[in-house]
Amino acid sequence: MAQKVLGLTAVDQTSLLRIAILGLISIVAVGSRLYSVIRFESVIHEFDPWFNYRTTRYLVDNGFDKFWNWFDETAWYPLGRVVGGTLYPGIMVTSATIYNALHALNIPVDIRNVCVFLAPMFSALTAIATYHLGKEVKNATAGLLAAAFVGVAPGYISRSVAGSYDNEGIAIFLLVFTFFLWLRSVRLGSALYGALTAISYFYMVSAWGGYVFIINLIPLHVFALLAMGRYSNRLYVAYSTFYVIGTLASMQIPFVGFQPTFTSEHMAALGTFGLIQLVAFANFVRTLIPSDQFRILIRGAILGLFVIGFGGLVVLTMSGVIAPWTGRFYSLWDTGYAKIHIPIIASVSEHQPTAWPNFFFDLNMLIWLLPAGIYFSFRELSDHHVFLILYSLFAAYFAGVMVRLILTLTPIVCVMAGIAVANVFEVYLDFRNTRASDNTANNATNAKSFVNPKSEKRVSNNTADSELISSSASAGEPKGGQQQVSFFEKPSFKSFYAALPKFVVIANLLYFLCMFQWHCSWITSSAYSSPSVVLASRSPDGSQHIIDDFREAYYWLRMNTKTDAKVLSWWDYGYQLAGMADRTTLVDNNTWNNTHIATVGKILASDEDTAYDLARRHDVDYILVIFGSLLGYAGDDINKFLWMIRIAQGVYPDGFKEEDFYNSSGEYAIGDTASPAMRNSLMHKLCYYRFAEMMGPRGFDRVRKQKLPSSVTLDNFEEAFTSENWMVRIYKVKDLDNLGRNHHTVSAFEGPRHTKNIMF
Amino acid sequence: MNLLALLGTLLLLSSVWIGTVEAKSSVGDRVLVLVPKLESAKHYSRFLDSLKTRGFDLSLSAASNTSVSLQIDGERLFDHAILLAPAAKKMGGGLTPQDFVRFVNDGGNLLVAVSSELSDFHRKLGKQFGIDFEPRGSWAIDHSEFAEQNNQTDHRLIAATNLAKVPAVLSPEILTGGSGTNASLPVFYKGIAHRYQAKNPLLIPLLVGSTTTYSGKTEVDKDGNIRSAAVDDMPLSGKSVGLVSVFQTRNNARVAFSGSTALFSDPLFKRTESGNAPFVESISKWVFQEKSVLRESNHRHYLLSTGEQPDHYLITNDMVYEIDLSVYNNDKWHPYKADDVQFEAIMLDPYIRVTLNRTQTSDSSATAATYHGHIRLPDRYGTFTFRVNYKRTGYSNVDVQDTVAIWPLRHDGYPRFLTAAYPYYTGSLVMVLGFLALSAVWLWNAEPAALKESKDMQKPRDDEKKKTKSKSK
Repeated sequence: MAQKVLGLTAVDQTSLLRIAILGLISIVAVGSRLYSVIRFESVIHEFDPWFNYRTTRYLVDNGFDKFWNWFDETAWYPLGRVVGGTLYPGIMVTSATIYNALHALNIPVDIRNVCVFLAPMFSALTAIATYHLGKEVKNATAGLLAAAFVGVAPGYISRSVAGSYDNEGIAIFLLVFTFFLWLRSVRLGSALYGALTAISYFYMVSAWGGYVFIINLIPLHVFALLAMGRYSNRLYVAYSTFYVIGTLASMQIPFVGFQPTFTSEHMAALGTFGLIQLVAFANFVRTLIPSDQFRILIRGAILGLFVIGFGGLVVLTMSGVIAPWTGRFYSLWDTGYAKIHIPIIASVSEHQPTAWPNFFFDLNMLIWLLPAGIYFSFRELSDHHVFLILYSLFAAYFAGVMVRLILTLTPIVCVMAGIAVANVFEVYLDFRNTRASDNTANNATNAKSFVNPKSEKRVSNNTADSELISSSASAGEPKGGQQQVSFFEKPSFKSFYAALPKFVVIANLLYFLCMFQWHCSWITSSAYSSPSVVLASRSPDGSQHIIDDFREAYYWLRMNTKTDAKVLSWWDYGYQLAGMADRTTLVDNNTWNNTHIATVGKILASDEDTAYDLARRHDVDYILVIFGSLLGYAGDDINKFLWMIRIAQGVYPDGFKEEDFYNSSGEYAIGDTASPAMRNSLMHKLCYYRFAEMMGPRGFDRVRKQKLPSSVTLDNFEEAFTSENWMVRIYKVKDLDNLGRNHHTVSAFEGPRHTKNIMF
Repeated sequence: MNLLALLGTLLLLSSVWIGTVEAKSSVGDRVLVLVPKLESAKHYSRFLDSLKTRGFDLSLSAASNTSVSLQIDGERLFDHAILLAPAAKKMGGGLTPQDFVRFVNDGGNLLVAVSSELSDFHRKLGKQFGIDFEPRGSWAIDHSEFAEQNNQTDHRLIAATNLAKVPAVLSPEILTGGSGTNASLPVFYKGIAHRYQAKNPLLIPLLVGSTTTYSGKTEVDKDGNIRSAAVDDMPLSGKSVGLVSVFQTRNNARVAFSGSTALFSDPLFKRTESGNAPFVESISKWVFQEKSVLRESNHRHYLLSTGEQPDHYLITNDMVYEIDLSVYNNDKWHPYKADDVQFEAIMLDPYIRVTLNRTQTSDSSATAATYHGHIRLPDRYGTFTFRVNYKRTGYSNVDVQDTVAIWPLRHDGYPRFLTAAYPYYTGSLVMVLGFLALSAVWLWNAEPAALKESKDMQKPRDDEKKKTKSKSK
């Protein structure tokens, strides 16, 4: 067995091989995320990343101290935003550190490129972290498989393609890495690893709001172990170290602040921390007073305390001492909650419940390997496996409730699938036994059987899983093998028949793995690699046509308006406006002030005169709307308009009714068949103003497939800019008339204005 | 070098030139006068001559003259315009009411006088300023307060005394009757009445009818006596009869409408018992920006502690706001003195509104009065607008706005070591000391040998128990 190749022992060879495989996985993970850069260019995508990008630039330009204390007066005009205290600075600090490090090495990289390629780089790190997690819970095979899966799983790629400069890009790596460190610290009972877990957790807190998942899952794991009567000093050391250091560290992030001490999301961790102290104390007592009944007493006490603690939590929450759960968390339990109470959350597509094809779309075959992984975990059920099972169950539930949380599900699915596939491989790739004697061949079929999970020895044993498997293979009990012997008399026959099913299974599995890879590349290429800032369309001859209206319009704003101009738009475009146009916005994607957003909704949904008064009161200079009727771009403002009305209605109940915007036959129509409220609303006017002139007499709306309104008058606002494909329309809010007249009178006095403004 | 010298002399020359030909108006001296025919300018010779003596450069032109234009390439050709041609349907070549509105929007001042025979042009123009002239052919009539003319009684020649008490527009002599007499002289008015928008804040009805004035159509007999007066169902009467109204636009251009051209004519100027001359002088001075022109010459705000204007303020900073106001009267800029100049710090709503105090100076040659206020900013961060919005009847509007960001305190700007928190400080300190003490006791106290032994004996027994348990399961 110990043959030396290139002067390396078998162990060294395997390590080399693993490193090579991991390296390749990393390259694939990075490579498959570069479609968008290759096809389009190195740009920041979507909406949120623009904020991250802008703040990163601020950090690089002004240094950390200024960034920390930054008050952005150009956002949420006139309220402003305390940027330093309301963001998770992890991703900006990471990019800035990389940028500064590269510049210290005299590699002049643009900060934009650092931002664009950050997520792919971190996906490689995620693959490595997943490898370690898999290795920790099973063996290197499972680890490598899990790493390979997570490298290309579309569920993760969707948030980490090049240019998608989002918190999740680094947070998933941190999530996996924290869990890996946690499991290791539980296994070793090491305060060092507990502290490392806490540091990794701190990094996670600084990077993403999803850290709440960690701070609830780890206590849950501890609690489950306690309830199973699996208390150990290792657990105590690991958790106490992690909780104390992790919580203190997390409170250093201004956005989190004192939340760990009073919000419901963090109470479970605190309660578990108290509980484990009690349990530890009880165990200490037990060493002094040995008793057989003590264990039962402990369990009873734990359950009792849990009930009391939970009851106390409920009472304190009801009485308002502990801050109640935030809306986003309620919507995790009741999917209908958000739509009724907080339309602003429901209006975001990624907060919608997941449709079942999404799971297959994002995870492909992994989704049916997940139950297999859970099954294998149950068979072993060590402390680690309890964790894996809990993680799978909770993440699966949350992923079902909110589309975006598929992201947190993906790593565990990959690990579980890695375990499942590794188990299958172990059995079916092991051809040693087919060539050996009858007995071992029969034993090999039973190699699946594992160590008795209940065995205390297994839990306390610190050796890695991989070694255990081989030892367990021989320990497995023979069953059903005796009958087969009578069928096959010749050893060659036997070995052939023993090998055949293995080939079939392996071939099958390999086919699926290839399909998986193919599916992942295809999904990544077709669905997740188009930056929504730049759109592409294909003409009938197959040539690509780039639609660059957004950037065209933002650039127009940047070059043609005053630097302190205030631009009103729906909040979706706030970050892009701030980032690309560099103008003051009223609302943006950081939806912290519902009233302000509702005011913008009200302005857009009111009639022209009300809107004008409100817009002037808020010092609005320009109004920007996204209009997709010419291109058939369905994500435009008219389609989002109902949400604007709902949000406005929630804050200004008098004078607003969603029903008013449906016509007499109950349809959400545009044009002449629309209801008066809809026809007179500013949004409708801004979108369709002079559109019919362009589309001709028989023109129709390509998104809604309806006839255009026959006439749209607009007096209080004047068209300032319309982009090439009419996707972005910008209007200027007129000044008050110099003579104190209203603008309708002025228009009537001045006559039709575009007769004298024709320039071509 | 030569070029520089040339430029220098040019600059010098131009400054000298500006100095010598300084107009009395604060904005400029080019006046366009449109009369029905050039000869008819004679009727207004006293008025026009008075303008010339005040330093205006009059361009007299017939209304029908097609070469008249108000602007070339968007550049105004005149600073002021006087329209004395009520019957003209078009001004100049084809100047429409829209052109004159644009002229005013550009900052030009306008004096319009019409008569009973006014054209649609004037009606349209007046309408834009909230002035609605009565139907063509109607007159403002007063049967009790009228003036005699050539020993004939004409009830259309009103001796109007109902002047709006606006000292910014009308000189004190007119309002109080000058030095000698107690009552002011009446303004002789013959022309059409108009309705004025009473709620329009930009419009000042300067001269309105008395309780006995009304508007109607008349027929006049040979003696000049009014034979009959046809009146609408809803006659315009009393104080709502507008005779002369002035208007100040948002950009501080000034416009006056008079329903009577006769008001400006020589015959009525000449009469000793008429107050037309001082009244017209007051109006024209006001319209042509010779008086009551208010301006903000400078303003600044800074931190009280440093005396410098920061990039942004912090919440509850003490700051100082200063504004210099001067007023143009009698051909010069004077310090503007008032006690009602207010400062506001606005974020959607005013958070602060204080009256500024005038800084007392001994400098008599100063052209501006400085108003200052010591202000403590609100405990609220955001983008605030510092605003002095000073609008007083008859004076030019002063609206000064600065957008200023007020930041929250820096992370290290909060007070440290609060007295109230001392129990907690002591608490944590005691905790630290206790932990150290316990560790010390633990580390430096050897366990009694007997106890240690008994413990060692106990441990294997424990392990054995576990094993038997798991086996039994």
